[in-house]
Amino acid sequence: MFLRDTFKAAHRAIAVNKGRSALTMLGVIIGVSSVVLMTAVGASMEGLILGQISSLGSKSMVIMPGQQEGPGGSITPGFDSLTFEDIRALETLTTAHSFAPIVLIEGTATYGREETSPMTLGTVPHFFQNQHVSAAQGRLLEDADMSAARSVVVLGADAAEDLFANADPLGKKIKVADRSYTVIGVLNPVGTQFFQNFDERIFVPLPVARSVTGKRYVSFVTFQAVDDIDLAERDVTSLLRQRHGIVNPEDDQDKDDFIVHTSEQANEILGTVSLSLTLFITTIAGISLLVGGIGIMNIMLVAVTERTREIGLRKAVGARRRDILLQFLFEAVMITLIAGMIGVLLGILLAFLIAAGVQKYMSSYVFALSVPSILVALAMAVLTGLIFGLYPARQASRLSPMNALRYE
Amino acid sequence: MLPFRYPYHTSQLSPKVIMLKKVVPLIETVDLQKSYFSGDLETPVLHGIDFVIQEGEFVSIMGPSGSGKSTLMHILGFLDTPTSGSYLFRGEKTRVLEDDALARIRATRVSFVFQAFNLLPRTTVLENVILPLLYHPTIPASEREERAMKAIAEVGLTERTTYLTNQLSGGQQQRVAIARALVTEPDIIFADEPTGNLDSASGLQVMNVLQELHDHQGSTIVLVTHEKATAEYAARIIQLLDGRISSDSRDFKRKDAKTNTDLK
Repeated sequence: MFLRDTFKAAHRAIAVNKGRSALTMLGVIIGVSSVVLMTAVGASMEGLILGQISSLGSKSMVIMPGQQEGPGGSITPGFDSLTFEDIRALETLTTAHSFAPIVLIEGTATYGREETSPMTLGTVPHFFQNQHVSAAQGRLLEDADMSAARSVVVLGADAAEDLFANADPLGKKIKVADRSYTVIGVLNPVGTQFFQNFDERIFVPLPVARSVTGKRYVSFVTFQAVDDIDLAERDVTSLLRQRHGIVNPEDDQDKDDFIVHTSEQANEILGTVSLSLTLFITTIAGISLLVGGIGIMNIMLVAVTERTREIGLRKAVGARRRDILLQFLFEAVMITLIAGMIGVLLGILLAFLIAAGVQKYMSSYVFALSVPSILVALAMAVLTGLIFGLYPARQASRLSPMNALRYE
Repeated sequence: MLPFRYPYHTSQLSPKVIMLKKVVPLIETVDLQKSYFSGDLETPVLHGIDFVIQEGEFVSIMGPSGSGKSTLMHILGFLDTPTSGSYLFRGEKTRVLEDDALARIRATRVSFVFQAFNLLPRTTVLENVILPLLYHPTIPASEREERAMKAIAEVGLTERTTYLTNQLSGGQQQRVAIARALVTEPDIIFADEPTGNLDSASGLQVMNVLQELHDHQGSTIVLVTHEKATAEYAARIIQLLDGRISSDSRDFKRKDAKTNTDLK
């Protein structure tokens, strides 16, 4: 028997029992489509949160309030452990410089009827040098904006597009938390640095942010190592421990109320996060395909019993064990393959609909697909058919032709 | 002990006439026994069957239910193996054959017509007749349809080729089954109560087809039945009773399905 004939026989069996085949496929369809959907949403979210991860100069560093459980462990953000006094003390260090404190202003930004919720950051001019970001249009914040506490704003690339679309933003007035600001510049895209997508942020002078929020604490601080980054990290850490009264000779990061990172460390942590997301989705996929596979095994066993006489007949006219085995195995694999393809299409469709819906509220949420996970899901579906189809197919192939023919 | 003495029985051949290969019988059984086992309990079904069937014969194996005729047919048709004794097919011992070798013989040498037709449901006549060719080791795929059409023509169903089998009458279905048995051009066709599920008119049609195959194509046919009336369409009747051959006769007036009226 040729493969083509086996294929045809399997195809017929599926076509004859359309309703039942469809129900059997449901498990695999749900499994595969949820994997495709989840990974697509994951990819879109990653795009939304991270943009592209940009690589900074190796001397760029950040201090964040909060705690980290061991090196590379999860970060619990704090809010009130870094003060402006701390910054002033840090500025006396000789191994680190260019400290740029950032204060967050909560609230939406509006221009006319366009409204978005970018994060508004109050900061100082050398922040832009620390992040290696330049102005695409207009100018950056300057010292004069600081001393005069001018109500001016510089927009990240995506934030500018959200608010103004194709219009020229320069000179326009936007409102952030009930205060009006004049747009003086738009940044070139930089992507994600230190866990933040700066393209979606907007920047106002630090003194303005302080007076609007009345905050005594900073959200985070970026700075540059003068020469050696390890040396800078050690000096910053020991100075802050001393000022915060933390005794920590064994260098246990659990005890600190702040975190110091280089840009490379920050990017590594992001990598870890997306890895665990992938593992999580793979687990879900595994479970749903297992359930789908058991369904397939069940229905194939029913099919073998139901078609005992057919098997007997095929053997009586000369089918070998191998022919029967392949026929039923093909049938199971075909069911899972069709189900897998339906699942992929369904997952893509759902992801697309979700993206279309979310895009109305967050224009930077872009429909994205994870092609490798689609291929893996499809391969897993076929593998499920192979594994769970094998036992029923073996049962079928071992039937004695005489008993099978007599089966009522 | 043989009930019939054949002039060229292999065991009686002297070395100098061994060249007469063509007279090696198609089927020869020597003390064929079959028992079924259920746990330690042995139920003997066949108690030593000896007979010979030559190529081109039309033989009925007749007997009441429980006489072992179906078991004998299954063994002769390579669907089952005997417990002891030997079964020679074209002079070759068959008991030692492997599963795949048995499948190959079923694909190329023997065919069956069953009482319950055993056609594939919701499938066309043509596809049913092609089925054995899918498993035939030497007939190329390109010849399948042509051969199937020829077999369908032989049973007079050319106009029904694309019908689904469940759209046909019982008699037509059994003729499809006969076409399926013919399509591989086997050495022998076993028909197991082929008229058992049919009314007498359809049964007569089926017997007519079988007789014509034998008379005009020279097919070897073994008909298994419990009805004397059906058995008499063959040229020879082997009677089975309690697992033994009780008679083997050719001296009866063979019925002709074409002219027969008592079944109509």
